Amino acid sequence: MRLACVWLPHFPIAIERRNSPALNRRPVIIGETTEQRGAVLDCSAEAEGQGVRVGMPLRQALGLCPSASFLPPDLPRYGDAFDQILRALETMSPLVDPAALGCAFIGLGGLNGHYRDEMALGDALAQVVRRASGLMPSIGLAEGKFTAQVAATVSAPGEVCLVPPRQGRKFLAPIDVSLLPCSRDTLRHLELFGLRTMGDLASLPLGAVQAQFGAEGRRIWDLARGIDREPLRPLRREESIREHLAFYAPLISREALVTAGRQLLTRLLGQPAMRGRAARRMTLRALLSDGRSWERAIVFREATSDREQMLCVLKTAVETAPLTAPIEELSIELSGFAGETGKQEGFCSGDRRRQPQVAEAVHQLKARYGRSPVLQVVEVEPWSRIPERRHALIDYDP
Amino acid sequence: MVAHPRATARAHRLRPLNQAKPIEVEADESGEPWGVVLERERLVVAAVQDRWRIDDEWWREQPVSRLYFSVLLGGGRTLTIYRDLVTGRWFQQNYA
Repeated sequence: MRLACVWLPHFPIAIERRNSPALNRRPVIIGETTEQRGAVLDCSAEAEGQGVRVGMPLRQALGLCPSASFLPPDLPRYGDAFDQILRALETMSPLVDPAALGCAFIGLGGLNGHYRDEMALGDALAQVVRRASGLMPSIGLAEGKFTAQVAATVSAPGEVCLVPPRQGRKFLAPIDVSLLPCSRDTLRHLELFGLRTMGDLASLPLGAVQAQFGAEGRRIWDLARGIDREPLRPLRREESIREHLAFYAPLISREALVTAGRQLLTRLLGQPAMRGRAARRMTLRALLSDGRSWERAIVFREATSDREQMLCVLKTAVETAPLTAPIEELSIELSGFAGETGKQEGFCSGDRRRQPQVAEAVHQLKARYGRSPVLQVVEVEPWSRIPERRHALIDYDP
Repeated sequence: MVAHPRATARAHRLRPLNQAKPIEVEADESGEPWGVVLERERLVVAAVQDRWRIDDEWWREQPVSRLYFSVLLGGGRTLTIYRDLVTGRWFQQNYA
C-alpha cells in the first residue's frame, strides 16, 4: 500500500520555538528539571551538534552544552498541537496513523485521482500541515512505513521525497544503517562488521544476518530491502465533549478553580450529547499564566452523569495538582460515553441524617398497625443451592 | 439488599422469599416441557436454553430433588421452571 509519512523533526522544540521565537538558532534542551535524575526529552539540532542526545541524563547534557536553554516539558501543549495537525490531515484522508509526536502516516488509497500526481499530493499534505500548525513538514511517499519515514527524514522541511513503486531497496541502499529501528548493541555490531549502509546489509544472505542478530536480524534485513509488513493503524477518534473557561484575571486560589470546574460541569452535563448518557473519563486541562499547561485524565470508577460525583473527583485532582503559576484558562473534557445506568440507593445506606426520621416513621406505623409494615431482605443461607433458602424477609425494626 | 444484621434471627418473624409457584406445564414423554400456561394463556416453549438438576437434603423426610429448565417462550420471554422429581409437579421459580 502506498503511504505518506509526514515528518516534523524535534516537534517539541518546534512548538517551543513557535511560541518563543527568541529560542530560534539557539541550543535548546527539553527535560524534566524538577529532579536531578531527569533525562533529555528532546533537543535542538544546535544542541545535538554539541553531543547532546535524546534520553541522555540532564546533568550530562548540561556539561556538554552549558549555553543551552533548558525548558521543562509541556506535554499537554505538544499533544494538543499534534492533534490539530492530525485533524487537518483527516480532512484529506480517513487513514491517519499517528506514530509518534511529530510523525504520522497517511494511507493514500483512493487519493491519487484527486491530484495531478503524487508530488502534487505530497505538496498538498505539506500545505495542510503548515496551515494547521505554522510548521513545515518533510514528506516521504513510498510503499511501507519504514521506507516512507526514511524518505521524509532525509528530506528538508517542505520537500517531498517520492520513492517509486518497487524501488524501495534501490532508494535505501546508500542510506546509513543508523536509521534502522534496532538496539544500540545491534547498531554497534553492524558498525564492527563494516556494514555502514542498508545496501551492505541487504546484500547479505538472510541466514547469516539471522544467525548473528536473531529475530531482530530478520526484521532489519527485510527493512533494508524495502519490505515493511507493519500495517497502517488509523486513528479511531472517540466521541468527546469539551467546555472551557478563560478567566479575566488569572486564578490563584484552588477554591476558585473548583467553582469554575462546577460551572463547566453544569454546562457539559446540560449538553444534548449527555442526555441519557454517562461518561467514563474526565480530562482536566489548565493553561497557566507562564505559558505552561497542566493536564490530568481521570477514569471514574463507573460511568457517571452525576455532577456532584464528578466535582468530588475534580476537587481531589485540583487539591493535589502541582500548579506553579496562576491559571488563565480551564477546560474539562468528558469522554468514554455509556448508557446511563440506574442506581438503586440502599434504604438504610442513604443520608444518615434521615435515619432517625425513618425510625420514627416506622415506630409510628407499628403503633398504628400493631406490627412494622416495612420489611427488609436478609441473607439466611446465601450459599444454598435451593433458591428459597438463600434470603428471607424480616420486619424492619430500627 | 442490606448486609446481614449479625443479630440473632427472630425465626418467627422470618418470611420466605422467592417461594416456588405452581405452574401448569405440558411436557412430552421424556419430560421435556413444550408448553406453559401463564395468566390463563397457553404459550409454546420455543427453546430450552438450559437445564440442571439439584438433589439436596436427602437425609430429611422430604428430600429436595428438582430438574430445572430455563425456557424461551414464543413471545421472547424467558422463564425458569422446575419439575419436582419427588411429586412430579411443576413450579416456576427465579434461580439467580
